[in-house]
Amino acid sequence: MVSRSRREQRMSHVSDSESSASTSPERGQDDDNDSFMLHPNDSQSSLGGSISRDISPDSVRDFGERCRRSPICRLPAELLIAIFTRLSTSPADLRSCMLVSKDWARNAVGLLWLRPHTDNWQGLHNVTRSIRAVDSYFAYHDLIKRLNLTQLGNQVSDGTILPFSGCKRIERLTLTNCSKLTDLGLAPLLDGNRNLLALDITGLEHITDKTMKKVAQHCLRLQGLNVTNCRKITDDSLEAVAKSCKHVKRLKFNGCTQLTDKSIMTFADNCHSILEIDLHDCRSLEDESVTALIDGGRQLRELRLQHCGRITDNAFLQLPQDATYESLRILDLTDCGELQDAGVQKIITAAPRLRNLVLAKCRQITDRAVMSITKLGKNLHYIHLGHCARITDVGVTQLVKLCNRIRYIDLACCQNLTDMSVQQLAALPKLKRIGLVKCGSITDRSILALAKPKQAGQGGPLQPSSLERVHLSYCTLLSLDGIHALLNNCPRLTHLSLTGVQAFLREELIHFCREAPAEFNDHQRDVFCVFSGPGVGRLRAYLNEEATASNAYDGETTMFDDGGEDGPDPPIGGGVMLGDGAADHPDHQFGYHGVAIGDGHPHPHSQAQAQGGVNVNGLMGAMGATAIDEDEEFGEGSEIMAGD
Amino acid sequence: MSATSQTIILNSSDGVDIPVDKEVATRSVLIRNLLEDLGDTGEPIPILNVNEAVLKKVLEWCEQHKKDPPATNEDDSDSRKKTTDIDEWDQKFMQVDQEMLFEIILAANYLDIKALLDVGCKTVANMIKGKSPEEIRKTFNIQNDFTPDEEDQIRRENEWAEDR
Repeated sequence: MVSRSRREQRMSHVSDSESSASTSPERGQDDDNDSFMLHPNDSQSSLGGSISRDISPDSVRDFGERCRRSPICRLPAELLIAIFTRLSTSPADLRSCMLVSKDWARNAVGLLWLRPHTDNWQGLHNVTRSIRAVDSYFAYHDLIKRLNLTQLGNQVSDGTILPFSGCKRIERLTLTNCSKLTDLGLAPLLDGNRNLLALDITGLEHITDKTMKKVAQHCLRLQGLNVTNCRKITDDSLEAVAKSCKHVKRLKFNGCTQLTDKSIMTFADNCHSILEIDLHDCRSLEDESVTALIDGGRQLRELRLQHCGRITDNAFLQLPQDATYESLRILDLTDCGELQDAGVQKIITAAPRLRNLVLAKCRQITDRAVMSITKLGKNLHYIHLGHCARITDVGVTQLVKLCNRIRYIDLACCQNLTDMSVQQLAALPKLKRIGLVKCGSITDRSILALAKPKQAGQGGPLQPSSLERVHLSYCTLLSLDGIHALLNNCPRLTHLSLTGVQAFLREELIHFCREAPAEFNDHQRDVFCVFSGPGVGRLRAYLNEEATASNAYDGETTMFDDGGEDGPDPPIGGGVMLGDGAADHPDHQFGYHGVAIGDGHPHPHSQAQAQGGVNVNGLMGAMGATAIDEDEEFGEGSEIMAGD
Repeated sequence: MSATSQTIILNSSDGVDIPVDKEVATRSVLIRNLLEDLGDTGEPIPILNVNEAVLKKVLEWCEQHKKDPPATNEDDSDSRKKTTDIDEWDQKFMQVDQEMLFEIILAANYLDIKALLDVGCKTVANMIKGKSPEEIRKTFNIQNDFTPDEEDQIRRENEWAEDR
């Protein structure tokens, strides 16, 4: 039995529930969907707060009696809260807990109100009513730590958020795309809030410096700030933010086109904990702030400078000699068109642990830059060199040789590249995604190389390809043969784009293709050909079936009517069909991939097949004019690999 | 961890010596730290807050889980907290009367055995899930100390959390 003194000790815990609540586990973070929620270390947030108390502690004797009748009463507040934490994904259960007894209510209310559900109007209305009530049972407004109105988006008005002005303990405020909001609603919400850790106001175009100055004035603990596309915000307020919010870690200023070196330099000078900064489309940015950001914050992990067209080699060349920045993992320089080989060489030397490097549309760079990139060796996982058209097979060969941990590579529109490059790339053991859009010279030889199983380690067993996403649009020389082999040898394939590849623009294959995006015009729709998700499996099954059918058909003239339903009229005499239909290569079925792939010779019939009686060159011309850029696929979220 | 098992002795709050493999006992962070601080003197280690019956039960769990990898970082425990899945052996293990269930939870907390505390909390959470307040009170024999007005007020003020 439990000793008396122990009971007393536990009882003191119970009556002390308010203070113990502050060390209790908090509700899970990842149900929220703003970018800052993904980083658990930001928050030291806690439950608790002032919870009104209206019961006097039971006497020791009563407590002992209660425990005898109800063993759960022995649990101190923090253990009761630990149990409630397991119910935090279910507000309804927490609410039931609140209604059990006063003791339970006190311990459940903090969890329940940590992040009230405000993703529908009815819920929001009820929450608002409770926080406004003068004589509410608990001081709910002080319990809200997270407020997220993203789901209600552009229906949210200043009037919607004004009732929350009293919630000064909000730590994470997420108002992504609540685009109607103005300073009138948001500024009072931030006024006097000293607890805010993360603010996401992506797409709030009416918000001005007025609101941001409130942030600078009050939210001194701020760690994450996302003001993507808040175009009215200027250097003026952000300088103030940089000076007062010295603990910021994650900044997203994408599309804040008014920003210049002035504010960014201030961040570099004052905020030394920055881990990530995204300056996508801050087109006025110049070299000086980039140098300062890299050199100022030794913690910097991620730097995104897409379309900052004024940046030149000097941004990197001006870094102190011999300084290295071991933390920098992700660098995106998409469309920094002034960048040349010297700048790339310098940043590679200075940031030897870069893992993701995006140099798409840095059109001036050559194999010399690629050679320097090879110094990243095994650290490099993601490399985007799309539209770096001066790159050749020499650079790619060297890259593959020295950076064999590459998982994602994009070489779209590098038109100098030939099968030789792809044959090298095919050897990358961890390759998951390859982009070769508009690498017009590549042939089935490349695809067969990609399809070939790889040896795991020295003398290890053969393993199927790890490829998941393959982009081959406008590789117009490709035929069904190569792709069929690829499909049968890449079990993980979930995306295959073949837009503008004539061999696939056939009614029965397009059938498995996904819908063209709504904004595409007729011509774009005509050539659109992307297989994704289940479509890949269906295409694979169809081609296999077709091959089997034509095989049977080939061997047995009695099958004449059933086979080759989509091919041209079967010629009389059945046996000599090669080069006619699409899949009538009986030797190209399952067994074939294992044996024939390795020799590097494309099937003798593939060319004939690709032509298929259509004027390929004519189509090419048309496509060149209305190039459908598949690049939207690239740079997708997957490149940001969290953790190390 | 050495291959040869080494036995240590724990002394329960009601004064009973319980010999146990060190490997098993050190699932408890409290005991591990005690051994590190005091050195392995061979003396019985007093476990002040846990009686023999509960301690034996807890050690049964530690024996079953002695090969589990130690819980590493915060993220793991974070994701653990949210689900209420319990593995089969643990479910059986937790089929005890409430007296014992809460004693196990208290002991796991005192002895600092996070994984056991976790299983205990999940077990209780599962007993709460889906139940009405009245059913919960019945399950745990808790007295409703709200006045009808208070209960009604809390119900109203937390309406948003109702099942949607």
